[in-house]
Amino acid sequence: MCKKQIWRHRRNTETLSIKQQGLCFKTRTNAEVIIFFIHLNFIRLNFNMFVTDIRKEFYDVVVNQRVALFVSPDIDALCACKVLQALFHCDQVQYTLVPVAGWQDLGTAFMEHKEQYQYFVLINCGANVDLLETLQPEEDSVFFICDTHRPVDVVNVYNDTQIKLLIKQDDDLGVPSYDDIFRDDEEDEEGDGDDSGNESDGSAEPSGKRRRYDEDALERRIERQRARREWEARRREILFDYEQYEFHGTSAALVMFELAWVMSKDTKDMLWWSVIGVTDQWVHDKIPHMKYVTDIATLQRHVSRHNHRNEDEENSLSIDCMRITFEYDLRLVLYQHWSLYESICNSCYTSCSFKLWSINGQKKLQEFLADMGLPLKQVRQKFNSMDMSIKENLREVIEESANKFSMKDIRVQTFAVNFGFKNRFLASDVVHAAAALLENVEKDEMPTDNFIKALDCLSRSNLERLHLGIDLAKKKLKAIQQTVASCICTNLILSQGPFLYCHLLEGTPDVKLFSKPLALTLLCKYLLKAFICSTRNKRCKILPLIMAAPLDVEKGTVIVLGIPPESETSDKKNFFGRAFEKAAESTSSRTLHDHFDTSGDFSDAHSNFTSASSTS
Amino acid sequence: MSLLTLRRNFFNVHVITTTKIYRENCLNEAKTEGKSELIPSIKFRHSCLLRNQRCIAAYLYDRLLRIRALRWEYGSVLPTTIRFHMCAEEMEWFNQYKKSLATYMRSIGGEEGLDITQDMKPPKSLYIEVRCLKDHGEFEIDDGTVILLKKNSQHFLPRWKCEQLIRQGVLEHVIS
Repeated sequence: MCKKQIWRHRRNTETLSIKQQGLCFKTRTNAEVIIFFIHLNFIRLNFNMFVTDIRKEFYDVVVNQRVALFVSPDIDALCACKVLQALFHCDQVQYTLVPVAGWQDLGTAFMEHKEQYQYFVLINCGANVDLLETLQPEEDSVFFICDTHRPVDVVNVYNDTQIKLLIKQDDDLGVPSYDDIFRDDEEDEEGDGDDSGNESDGSAEPSGKRRRYDEDALERRIERQRARREWEARRREILFDYEQYEFHGTSAALVMFELAWVMSKDTKDMLWWSVIGVTDQWVHDKIPHMKYVTDIATLQRHVSRHNHRNEDEENSLSIDCMRITFEYDLRLVLYQHWSLYESICNSCYTSCSFKLWSINGQKKLQEFLADMGLPLKQVRQKFNSMDMSIKENLREVIEESANKFSMKDIRVQTFAVNFGFKNRFLASDVVHAAAALLENVEKDEMPTDNFIKALDCLSRSNLERLHLGIDLAKKKLKAIQQTVASCICTNLILSQGPFLYCHLLEGTPDVKLFSKPLALTLLCKYLLKAFICSTRNKRCKILPLIMAAPLDVEKGTVIVLGIPPESETSDKKNFFGRAFEKAAESTSSRTLHDHFDTSGDFSDAHSNFTSASSTS
Repeated sequence: MSLLTLRRNFFNVHVITTTKIYRENCLNEAKTEGKSELIPSIKFRHSCLLRNQRCIAAYLYDRLLRIRALRWEYGSVLPTTIRFHMCAEEMEWFNQYKKSLATYMRSIGGEEGLDITQDMKPPKSLYIEVRCLKDHGEFEIDDGTVILLKKNSQHFLPRWKCEQLIRQGVLEHVIS
């Protein structure tokens, strides 16, 4: 075991987070670059395949090879992909990028590319299922998995040749220890062999001793079998506890950014992409608020490092250069690209607090606006055209009034990017725009077309695409708001015992939008919150929600999604994956658990399905 | 650059008209010994003939220029759809042009010659990012590795291998 001392410079350093097994980090000042390595715990053999030194074990391995990238369709994965692509461009690593929408796509893509590639990088897919069994690769294929899905399948963790996990080990992984799950069966067989050997040896000896030997041997064998049964029961319990709840870990984009940082190849573009990745996890409710705040704090250090570097010079940056700033900004969705009024009406937080689907709610909103002294005419205008005098202190004014209306968290920590005079975007704006592009149902395009468009909109040179995305996002948010209002007003949410249930019928307006998982997740979240605000039944506050929407009208399939109960301190752990599987088995309805996120799936006979879900 | 089929009918009609006009001119000429009334009509017909000749020459020359551009766009082997539109003489001309270009390329640039049909614009980097616009199947690059070009997949490949496919419209250069 060896440890080395650390020197820290107070100015311009990132604080160290000492991880369990190994850490490579860099502190940088304006004058010098100092690199330190700390290796703790050399004694313990690295049985599991979490990559400790991401640069040596991942990047240096692939830098001279050709790589296949499989990327799943969510914004965090897109951002991680952009960061990795930028790194690969720097070092001229030849790669092929294939979007994969689900397990089937992943299997097909792997089949097509396994002859030509030896190294595969999977982004936001593949960690939560036994990958080797699903894909059946050759001996020499190596998989690098950068995935936020937890729990990581134990076979993936303890495989030390073919699977390398690019996952930070200070996430609360709770992986069961090796000995609890895997056991050399040879011990037992040898033991038996010994016994029988003893028996045969013992046959030469006098019969008294032999009988004692026999009894001893028998006792030992019974004892061993009993221990084995106990071990197996405990193993089942441990695995059940481990795999029961699903949740998400640190953003893949952040992991990739830290790789770039370790190699000193990080740029502002990459930093912005990692900001978008973390914000995506928060917007789509994948991580609890505390984790979001922690990740933002990490990013804040990087942002200040990048900003400080440039403003030391005598000439400050040109206005066209990209500048990322930390903001404590309003939680109103897309408010700078919309009118303030529309944004308040269509944001989940404000809409649920005011209960805007009711007449009382509308009145309250008018009161709120009057309290702030904002004339209706101004508030309904495009944000950029509002009076400067109103825009100046808008955030503080809104926060003050919001506190009076019991909205304590109207402001949230986030980042904004500025380049040029006209272009200013908050991280959540970009997330909504990209998600709307990714799940665009307006034209009948293939999912891979949408993937490419969403990937493009993240580059600064494709501003028209980003603006198109923002327009689509506005439509989506309005559709969500209207669907929620109609569901609450027509009492479409039913209480089915241990959970709440809502089914969107085919004729519902904009129902095509909700055949996509991300949009359906937003709708679910919004609906649950709105329902809790609108009902007096206290019990509903602790119930989870299952939502079903038509997926393909011709085939009659339905997409089903489950979200955990709404709570301030929830850790966003979702148990619906297992529940859906069990329900599917018990009703023998045809289901396709194709999403990498197992809390959603497609099914046919879904009425039986939901009744089975209530029993399982 | 599109090349349509050589308009043979047009030529035939033109040849017939020309001969008709020319014969009429000869007839008139024969009649005019001494008289000068028919001279303007002869002159007129003659200038018509000359004008038609100029038009045809321009048309053929334009086709020739397009065929020459095809060599730079598609390389030495033309797709059959284009070859279908060319007549035998044009093919002959194309082959001659190919040969003279090849001789020239061999003569410059040292031993192996220099392929000047590559890198038409100054390259900025060795490798470029390309996106596949249609399913093209497998594609082999210099070191023997094979890449599967499927719609909407993106690849990071050496520039010189992609140029052909970019010109053909199978790949698209992604600038980010």
